[in-house]
Amino acid sequence: MTEEVRTEFHQLMEEVRADLVQMGGMVAEGVSAVTAALLAGDIASADQIITADDELDLLSLEAEEKCVQLLALQQPVAVDLRAILTDLRMISEIERSGDLVTNIAKAVVRLLGAELVPRVRGLLDRMREQAVRLTAMAMDAYADRDAGLAAVLDEIDDVLDDLHGQYLDAVFASQNAGHIDTQQAVQLAVVGRFYERIGDHAVNIAQRVEFLVTGQLPEHIGANRARARREQDEM
Amino acid sequence: MSQEPEASASDVTVPDALAPKDQSRARIDVSAVAAMAPQRVETSTVFECADVDVYYTDFRALRDVTLDVNSHEVTALIGPSGCGKTTFLRCFNRMNDLIEGARVEGTINYHGVDLYQDEVDPVEVRRRVGMVFQKPNPFPKSIYDNVAYGPRLAGVKRSEIDDVVEGSLTRAALWDEVKDRLKMSAYGLSGGQQQRLCIARAIAVQPDVVLMDEPCSALDPIATGRIEELIAELKTDYTIIIVTHNMQQAARISDMTAFFSVQANEMGQRTGELVEYAPTSLIFTNPDDPRTEAYITGRVG
Repeated sequence: MTEEVRTEFHQLMEEVRADLVQMGGMVAEGVSAVTAALLAGDIASADQIITADDELDLLSLEAEEKCVQLLALQQPVAVDLRAILTDLRMISEIERSGDLVTNIAKAVVRLLGAELVPRVRGLLDRMREQAVRLTAMAMDAYADRDAGLAAVLDEIDDVLDDLHGQYLDAVFASQNAGHIDTQQAVQLAVVGRFYERIGDHAVNIAQRVEFLVTGQLPEHIGANRARARREQDEM
Repeated sequence: MSQEPEASASDVTVPDALAPKDQSRARIDVSAVAAMAPQRVETSTVFECADVDVYYTDFRALRDVTLDVNSHEVTALIGPSGCGKTTFLRCFNRMNDLIEGARVEGTINYHGVDLYQDEVDPVEVRRRVGMVFQKPNPFPKSIYDNVAYGPRLAGVKRSEIDDVVEGSLTRAALWDEVKDRLKMSAYGLSGGQQQRLCIARAIAVQPDVVLMDEPCSALDPIATGRIEELIAELKTDYTIIIVTHNMQQAARISDMTAFFSVQANEMGQRTGELVEYAPTSLIFTNPDDPRTEAYITGRVG
């Protein structure tokens, strides 16, 4: 039987959790909307998406302010401390994904009039599907404190990475075939990279969820190498 | 790089079973008290507690406590009221002996010597394992005499007492504030100064361990900060075990944290138990036991 003695503190933490889940949802919706705008060459929608990112920025800022208050006033420890640290890291991951959606929206204008062959269109839609799926899964793992779900995200991200590779091949094949010019090809390649990055941010979020639940910081290959070198130097 | 640690002056060699001693054995090495420079010290086990139970007559106040206390570390005992943390603290210098009906079962080894065997002299134990209480409790004497009291009893030469007093007050970060009024009553000091005086008094007899029972609970944040700084400095020379209700304090100053909880039996008797004992950094970031987590995050049953 657990009695709550820090009700206000934990309520505020719940608020931040709800804010982040909402922000994650906005990113997932944004990815779908911006892909539709890109495929339709819909500049008005793209413009709306760019404006909508301001809202996400504001929510990020407000969530961060709440975290600062929690740290300064409540001296969180253990799972509470890990949750707030996770929130802070996640805010920037989500906010960055929002920026990537905006970047794709900006590309809609630049790509106006470019002929997107069916294969490129199909791969864009499949990358959209994977980016949305990864973002939604990461946010579900966060909302439910589900370390098991979080742990599989890295592997699922391989699908998006693979699609990204296929997509680049398709884009440059399309250029070679004369459907698009070099500048359009480069622009499309950059757009593909944005989807891939949104997937990476979802994986980062999942790693933070694992830390939140287990207390273990994610393994980092580069850091492990540096640690090995440092130990070597100390011998 | 693992070389044998060199023996240093601060290495404590106690045994010969804490037997009652002649005066010369209890003599104090003045230079060691005055030694100010902090030094890196290898840690070793000071106390080994195994299956410790404490009874007050028939009532079991604490059960099955097993933990080791390392030298030159601060060990914090935390937990809700009635969890037995102060009872446990008082086991380390046999203060529970002074309570009618109190009984300690299990073993507490101090540098390998069973603290509760018959041959051990509790007075000698209390010289080696000093105590600082919740409320500053200076003697109704001068500042100087408060610190000189223990060394005089221990037979330190008159000519050396001045050095012991200065060294202890310096070590307790009080010397500069009181050096011009040593002959004045200790009662004239502020609460925080009185508490530092009590710490100076405790270390004047050159103990090995200092026990502290909520030493800052009667102090304001500035005085608390000073005591906390002092504790961090003192651990180069002493082993410190502290009971605190202030979890942030435990987090700030301790190396190891023991979390005690209390369990009521069907008769309604409440017995304290050790829930978790781990490095403080772990307890406050990722405790192992859900009861620890519930307590320190305020989701307390």
